[in-house]
Amino acid sequence: MTTERCSPNWVLLCLMSAGLLAWLTLEAVSIAPNRLVAGTPHRAHEVHGWWAALLAGLPMLGVMVLAWRPGTRRLQAALALVVGLLVAMPLWLATAVMALADPDIPQARLGIGASLWLLLFLWLLVLIELRTRLNLSRAFGWLLLLPVVFAWWLSLSFWLEPLALYREYQGRSDQFASAIAYHLTLVGAAVGASLLLGIVLALCMRRYAGMRKAGFGLLNVVQTIPSLALFGLLLAPLAWLSARFDWLASMGVSGIGWAPAWLALVGYSLLPMVRNTYVALEGVAPAVIESARGMGMSRRQTFLQVRLPLALPVVLEGVRITTVQAIGLTAVAALIGAGGLGTFIFQGLGQAAMDLVLLGALPIIGLALVADALLGALAERLRHGGTP
Amino acid sequence: MNESDTLPVPRGHASRGIALWRHWSVPLIWLALLLALTFGMSQLEALLRLIEPDTRQVLYQRTSLATLLGQHVFVVAVASVLAIVLGVGGAIAVTRPAGRDFLPLVAQVASIGQTFPPVAVLALAVPALGFGTLPIIVALLLYGLLPIVRNTLAGLSGIDPGVHEAARGMGMTRGQILRQVELPLAAPVIFAGIRTSVTINIATAAIGATVGASNLGDPIISGIVNGNTAYIVQGALLIGLLAITVDSTFERLLWRPMTG
Repeated sequence: MTTERCSPNWVLLCLMSAGLLAWLTLEAVSIAPNRLVAGTPHRAHEVHGWWAALLAGLPMLGVMVLAWRPGTRRLQAALALVVGLLVAMPLWLATAVMALADPDIPQARLGIGASLWLLLFLWLLVLIELRTRLNLSRAFGWLLLLPVVFAWWLSLSFWLEPLALYREYQGRSDQFASAIAYHLTLVGAAVGASLLLGIVLALCMRRYAGMRKAGFGLLNVVQTIPSLALFGLLLAPLAWLSARFDWLASMGVSGIGWAPAWLALVGYSLLPMVRNTYVALEGVAPAVIESARGMGMSRRQTFLQVRLPLALPVVLEGVRITTVQAIGLTAVAALIGAGGLGTFIFQGLGQAAMDLVLLGALPIIGLALVADALLGALAERLRHGGTP
Repeated sequence: MNESDTLPVPRGHASRGIALWRHWSVPLIWLALLLALTFGMSQLEALLRLIEPDTRQVLYQRTSLATLLGQHVFVVAVASVLAIVLGVGGAIAVTRPAGRDFLPLVAQVASIGQTFPPVAVLALAVPALGFGTLPIIVALLLYGLLPIVRNTLAGLSGIDPGVHEAARGMGMTRGQILRQVELPLAAPVIFAGIRTSVTINIATAAIGATVGASNLGDPIISGIVNGNTAYIVQGALLIGLLAITVDSTFERLLWRPMTG
């Protein structure tokens, strides 16, 4: 075995010492008899005692030791340790439930405390750092999270019923499913419409220079207007329209609800979509077009078989940007009654029920990350893969 | 940088004034409109009544619009200044030899973090910090850091290594290279990041009205809750104007005459 002489990885050392400190000093869980009362906080060593807390800290210490002389092998071992830690967290929570939950209070709720949130964040950073240092692909990084997701699923379905977040979910599981479906439908409808409209606009802009300038100027202004303001500004005219025209009202168009949300989402999505489509179509090398024409392709064929396929990855990049953006903006649209996951956030904020806020915010972040990863991977594939 | 570098200025004071006016007219007009509406909204009562004919109260009067505008600008300014200091400082730190270990992680986090919707970040700040102005400033700061860090990194790493070597060959110290070569060359990209960050912050701060900050989002939220469209229009107009004023100011700041 070769001894690798390299300097310590200070990133891992810093992250893990912060993690250890948080684990030993901050509150790990809190337990409350019901939804209304604030929970009593417990630090890690107050749950199972000092020895157990120190023992649980050992893997973190292990990562720090491995980071001192970070060869490839040692970093791989560290990666395994971190994935193990992430898997262990829900299992540890399950043991905390058993230790702390009072069987006489069936409605007791276990809240996740600051130290566990911080650890989750720090460990994910460690995962990203290790993935970068080991040159692992993004897809492999996602694969590493599979056992973690499985561990959470397992714990939630068997032992973690008192988890406050889970209790909030159980209280409204139907609502939750329909909120996600509605959220995605609204995002899909907006992105789809802006894709079609964006392509048409980009094609027009290629033909008419005047339209290009005015179009980009206008879309830029729309993009600048804050979401809450744009929803508000659309509210008055839409309410007026639906009061005047019965067929609009019968379609469900009104000042609040999906109509202003959808319009605003399309407005926001157009700028990135048009810009990317325009740049993509313009970006195809003239020599490629010329050789296609030289091969006897008609104008139409050149466009459909050469220019469009070559432009597709950049267009898809536009779809990725607008989808991620729309997932976030739809959450704001819940304020004007558009529904979706944002409803939970604003309901939770209104009732000062933080777990309900989390029930809305965490899936939104998850959806944004997944959409970003999937569409990014698709664009990457189209770029390298054998498209005609 | 002195004005005559960026403006196509002919000689003489009067024409210089005209050129300055031409350069800044767009943001100034937006600013004038913003201030006129803030202080003179009551003049528009008749128009607002058209929107809400059945409601007794059409002017938002719980707090003066000027106060709300001031608080909005204050929160965004505090968060943005902190984000600029920390973001540019942090990005410089991780591109120096001493901090280079942290560069890959910081670059990754800056790009992954931008996938997080600002509303979600704001919502997560509340359980951690409670209601009020502080969580909003922290959320805006954290979120606003990302575009600044990302653009500063891009600007600094986009500099031709030859330029570095030439500067070192001239006997410049590291500090001199940073101040006189790297930062000026990266400045346009850094400014673009700051512009993105401030634009997002103005929008997110407005949503902060739901977590107990008082700013221009207030009339909108209160209008939604009470079903008063006139309130919503007042808040929305002012926030929109504020955003456009700030954005067009940035646009003018970044404007280069060499485009022609």
